Amino acid sequence: MVAVGGAEQMVLSSDAVLSSDARWEMVDRLTRQTVTYGTYKRTLGDVLGELTVKPLTGIPVAVAALFAFWSIFCSFAGALVTDGFMVKLFDAHWLPWLQSLWPDPASWHYFVFVGDPLADNCFEAFGVLTSGLFVSIGVVLPAILIFYLMMTVLEDSGYLPRLAVLVDSVLHRVGLHGYAIVPAILGLGCNVPAVTATRILETRKQRFIMMSLLAIFIPCGAQLGVMLEVIPDMVGMVFLCLIVGFCLFGYILNKVIPGENPEILVDVPPYHWPVKENVAKKLCNRTKGFLKEAVPFVLFGVLVVNLLYLGGVIQALAAFFEPLFVTWFGVPKETVGPLIAAFLRKDLAIAQLSVIPMTAYQMFASVVLISIYFPCVATFVVMLREGWKELIAALAVLFVVVFAYGGLIHAIGILLGVA
Amino acid sequence: MIQKNSISGIYIGLLGLVTLACGLADIFVWAGINAGFQVGILEIAGDDFFRWAWGGFIMVCAGLFMLAGSRKALSLQQFAKVTLGTVLVWLIAGTDIFARLCESIPAGEEAPEFFNSLSGFIGGFAPPYSPAIILLPFTLVILYLLYTQAYDTD
Repeated sequence: MVAVGGAEQMVLSSDAVLSSDARWEMVDRLTRQTVTYGTYKRTLGDVLGELTVKPLTGIPVAVAALFAFWSIFCSFAGALVTDGFMVKLFDAHWLPWLQSLWPDPASWHYFVFVGDPLADNCFEAFGVLTSGLFVSIGVVLPAILIFYLMMTVLEDSGYLPRLAVLVDSVLHRVGLHGYAIVPAILGLGCNVPAVTATRILETRKQRFIMMSLLAIFIPCGAQLGVMLEVIPDMVGMVFLCLIVGFCLFGYILNKVIPGENPEILVDVPPYHWPVKENVAKKLCNRTKGFLKEAVPFVLFGVLVVNLLYLGGVIQALAAFFEPLFVTWFGVPKETVGPLIAAFLRKDLAIAQLSVIPMTAYQMFASVVLISIYFPCVATFVVMLREGWKELIAALAVLFVVVFAYGGLIHAIGILLGVA
Repeated sequence: MIQKNSISGIYIGLLGLVTLACGLADIFVWAGINAGFQVGILEIAGDDFFRWAWGGFIMVCAGLFMLAGSRKALSLQQFAKVTLGTVLVWLIAGTDIFARLCESIPAGEEAPEFFNSLSGFIGGFAPPYSPAIILLPFTLVILYLLYTQAYDTD
């Protein structure tokens, strides 16, 4: 046994037996040599830390942090990378080059890989190499990159644990605790790591509620990026609708599902500047994960959707579900195809909606429906990894929520005279 | 120290009042009480809920924090409130400047080239400015007080 204590080291042979008193005496001696007592002086950082967890001052700071988060997200991903460079690169160079190079515009392979031969932009072409590449590289990648950068900065500066403390009482009303804010914010980037992050919650009940709410009410970065391109004026309304749904159905699930919702002790670290190397490493790992898991799904999703369109499957399903979608949800019949295809890629489905003529309210209702509709395939696979029973239960909740909430939005539209 | 406290308090109080007024003006213009207006280099467009209503609310909070901290402004607890208010103003101004930077780098949709010319890039930072950007130089005093640790410790 080796005891190390500041100035001196005591080495005892393995067969030496110490009495309890001797052990405590040794602890006291070590403490005297190593611990310094004094009066702790509070610093400005400590007081700022306290102010950011008190509701009166903390909530405005949280609102400001969200403002900065969204503003930087829109400026970087929207104005700079996508609108500034990617749209021009893809629409003015890549698409015309591909259209001139690919043989036989009437062929099936042209339809699958290049898409509509008359399209003048990659958003409306819907080919694997046009819309697929544009959405994954031109729209989603910059959105994910800036999202994860800001998320890492918030995490490493010590603000995220404070946000967890601040929202703890609110989240307890929906059966969760403060740290559920981590998967919730992660889900705004990509639902795949967010589902995995639900493991930080203590009980099965909490994990199930979070997983269900994630799959239904939290739009991923891909969706956000496309929404920003297609319906920039409506993103706020869509978000409001999703937040209301998150709280409402979270509250109901908390009442209905048996199980515990224990309190937690959160270790709140002091504020500090994030370490550049750590931020770079985290950003690199998260972006790599996204590129490996989500980008192939985008390309594969477009491929499968196009093949299903070619085989007439989507049209047949659309014809079958048309009465339900048109009468219950109040969306035009042309949206049924994209809504069904949304299972493969929600972001692409929103892009498909952009070319369908409809009223502003119908567009709003369709986008909300796509957001709360079935999780994308990638999320579906990760949820399956967490347990098939949970997945089936989450899907059952999802069907009830889609019908109830979709119908409710339609009913509100009718009452307001806009649907 | 008392005199230093009162001078700083008056300055912070005035800054808080102006910040509060700017935040309220942002919200009122957005709400349509007044059409978007421009006075000299100051402009409140009020055309977007996110920037002017949400951002205005944050400016209002910033102003209130500064006002709340203006009495005995250099005590640790009070100065922390002032710092928090100043940080909120920096957040709004910072995001405004970042938005201008992001819009100034690319050449624009119609132009054949990808990058903006140098004059076009610099032109992107020309006036008019939002109230938060105009308030930015006036918050440098708080930065100075922070840097010199002019506040009392407990």
